[in-house]
Amino acid sequence: MSLVTRNALIALGITIALTGTVAYAINYLNQARVTELSAIEDQLALDTLSLDTQFSLLEAAPCESAASSTTLTDKLADLGNRLSYTEDQFGSDNPQVIRLKEQYSLLEIRDYLITKQLAKACHTKPMIVLYFYSNGTDCSDCDKAGYALSYLRNTYPTLRVYSFDYNLDLGALQTLIAITKVKDSLPAFVIDGKTSYGFTSLTDLEKQFPKGSLPLTTATSTPKP
Amino acid sequence: MSPEMLAYPFLFIAIFFESFILVTLLSKPARAARERSAAGMGDTALPSVAVIVPCYNEAATVAATCDSLLALEYPKDKLEIIFVNDGSTDATASVMARYAEHPQVRIIHKENGGKHTALNAGIAATQAELIGCLDADSFVEPDALSEIIPCFVGAEVAAVTAAMSVHNPKSILEHMQNAEYLFGIAYRHTFASVNSLYVTPGPFSFYRRDVVEALGGFRHGHQTEDMEMALRLQQEGYGIENAPRARVYTKVPTTIATLVKQRTRWVTGFLRNILGEYRSLIGNRGRGALGMLVLPSAIISVGSGILLFFLMLYTLLHSTLTAIQIRTGIPLSYTLLPHGSFDWFYFPANFLLVLSMSTLLVSFIFIMVGKRVSKTPGKLALGLVSYTFLYGFISPLWLMRATTDFAFGKQRSWKS
Repeated sequence: MSLVTRNALIALGITIALTGTVAYAINYLNQARVTELSAIEDQLALDTLSLDTQFSLLEAAPCESAASSTTLTDKLADLGNRLSYTEDQFGSDNPQVIRLKEQYSLLEIRDYLITKQLAKACHTKPMIVLYFYSNGTDCSDCDKAGYALSYLRNTYPTLRVYSFDYNLDLGALQTLIAITKVKDSLPAFVIDGKTSYGFTSLTDLEKQFPKGSLPLTTATSTPKP
Repeated sequence: MSPEMLAYPFLFIAIFFESFILVTLLSKPARAARERSAAGMGDTALPSVAVIVPCYNEAATVAATCDSLLALEYPKDKLEIIFVNDGSTDATASVMARYAEHPQVRIIHKENGGKHTALNAGIAATQAELIGCLDADSFVEPDALSEIIPCFVGAEVAAVTAAMSVHNPKSILEHMQNAEYLFGIAYRHTFASVNSLYVTPGPFSFYRRDVVEALGGFRHGHQTEDMEMALRLQQEGYGIENAPRARVYTKVPTTIATLVKQRTRWVTGFLRNILGEYRSLIGNRGRGALGMLVLPSAIISVGSGILLFFLMLYTLLHSTLTAIQIRTGIPLSYTLLPHGSFDWFYFPANFLLVLSMSTLLVSFIFIMVGKRVSKTPGKLALGLVSYTFLYGFISPLWLMRATTDFAFGKQRSWKS
C-alpha cells in the first residue's frame, strides 16, 4: 500500500471518528438537557402536590401558602425558558420535546388553578394571561406576540402569563381550551377572562388589560415555552 | 431540509483533507525533509545559480530586493543576479543602474512583454545550473539559498519552493495574509513530501535550467506563469520539492480591493490552467495525491467557499431580520439588554458549529506549524484573530469574481 493511500485511509478514519465523536457529544449534551428538564419537571410536580396539600391543610389560613405559590411560579418560569431553548435545538416535532411540553402544560394548568384558588381565598386579583400559540405555519405573529408578552412580564412583575401550544394533544389542555372557548385563530389571549385574537402591536396588546391592572411590583410570572 | 445540511458534505471533505495533511506532515518523508540540512555540502559540490528578478515599475522596492540577494550566503563565483527590466516606465532602470558595476549583477532591458517573457530573457542570458525567480517586491534571508540547494537531491527534482511570509505586517489585512501564508508554509511542506505541489510561487522558487529549457521556458499561463510551470513539470513527471526554512518575505496588498484583484488573478489562473490544458491531472491515479486528492480538493474548495459564504450570509440575514421583526415596537431598553442566565444548559453547541470550530482549530494548528517549521519570527495573535474574523468574509469576494471571470471568459489586465 502506498504512503498516500495509507495516509488517506488514516485521514478517513480520523474524519469518521471526529464527526462521530462530535455527533455523540452533541447527542449526549442534548440528552443531558432532557434529563435535567425531566428532573426539574419531577421536582415541580412534587412541589405542586406539596402546595396543593399545604393549601388543603391551611384551610383556615390559605394565604399562608401564597409564598410557596410564588416560588413555584418562579421555578415554572425557569423551566419554561429551558424548554423553549430545548425546543429550538431539537425542533418542535421531537417526541421528547412534545412529552416535556405536555408535562409543562399540565404543571402550568395546575399552577393556574392554584393561583385562582389562592386569589379567591385571599381576596386578591392577580392579572392572569392565558396565551395560546402554535409553532406551525398557521401563526405568523406568534413569535412577536410571545416576545411582547416576555416584555410585559419583565416590566410588570405581578403579571402571570401561562403559554399553551394550542395544537398539543393533551386532554387537560383541550378541556381548558373548551372551557375558555378559544378558537383556532392564533395567537389568542385570554386576559381578565376576555378572549382576543391576533397580534398587531405592543400598544394594542396593552390596551386589552384593564386600566391600573399592571402595577410595577413583586415578580411572579411564567414564561412562554 | 434545513439550509445548513448543505454545509455538512463540504465540512466532512474539509476535515478529511486537513486530517490527510496532518497525517502526511507526521509521516516519514515530511520528517526527513524537515531534518534535511545544508551541512556537509562543500563549496565545490555547490551548483552555479542565477536568480532572475523580473521588474515592471518596481523602483520603490528593487534596491532592497537586490541588497537582500547580494547578502545571500553562497559562493560569490557561483551566484549571479539577473535583473530584467520589462519595459518599466518609472525609475526602475535608474535604480538598477546603481548595481550595474557589481560583479554578480547583470541587467537586461527589454520591451514590456509580461513576466514570463522577462523570466525567459533571464534564462537565455545564463548558463547556471539552477535558476531562481524572485519578485522585485520580495526579500530573502541570507541562508535561504543554502536551504534550497540540498532539496535538489535527485535528478527527478526539477524545482524547489521556499517558505513565504509577509514582510513586516502592520495592518489587520496584512496580519491576516501573514497567517494565511504561514498556513501555506505548512501545507506546501506537506504536499512536497508526496510530490503534490502545483504552484512554484514567484518569490524564490528554483528550477533546473536544462529542464525549464527542455520544456520550452515560461508561458503566459493565464497570468499565473508560476502555476503553469509547476503543472507542466508535474505533467511531465518531475518532482517539486520544498525548503521550509528558506525564508522569503513578500509585500502583500494593503487594501481589500487590491487583495481581491490579486487573488482573482490567482484563482482564475488556477481554474483556466487546471480545467484547460492540465485537466488530465485531475483524478489521475498515476499522479498520486496530486491527482486524487490535492487538485480535486482545490477545485471543491472554490465552490464550497462560495456556497458556505452564501449559507452564512443567509443564516445571518435571516436571523437578524427575524430578530428585528420580532422586536419591532418593543422599547429598546428591553430589546438591547441580554436576557437569560449563564448556564451550561444554554451552551450553543450544535453539529455545524462544533465541526466548523474543529476545522478552524486545525487551521490554527497548521498556521503555528508553518511558523515553527520555517522558524519565521513575529507574533501570531493578530494574524489568528484577523484570519478567523476576516478571511471568511473576504475570500468569497475573489472566489465569486474569479468563478464569474472563468465562466464568462472575461480577461483582466494584471493590475485590474
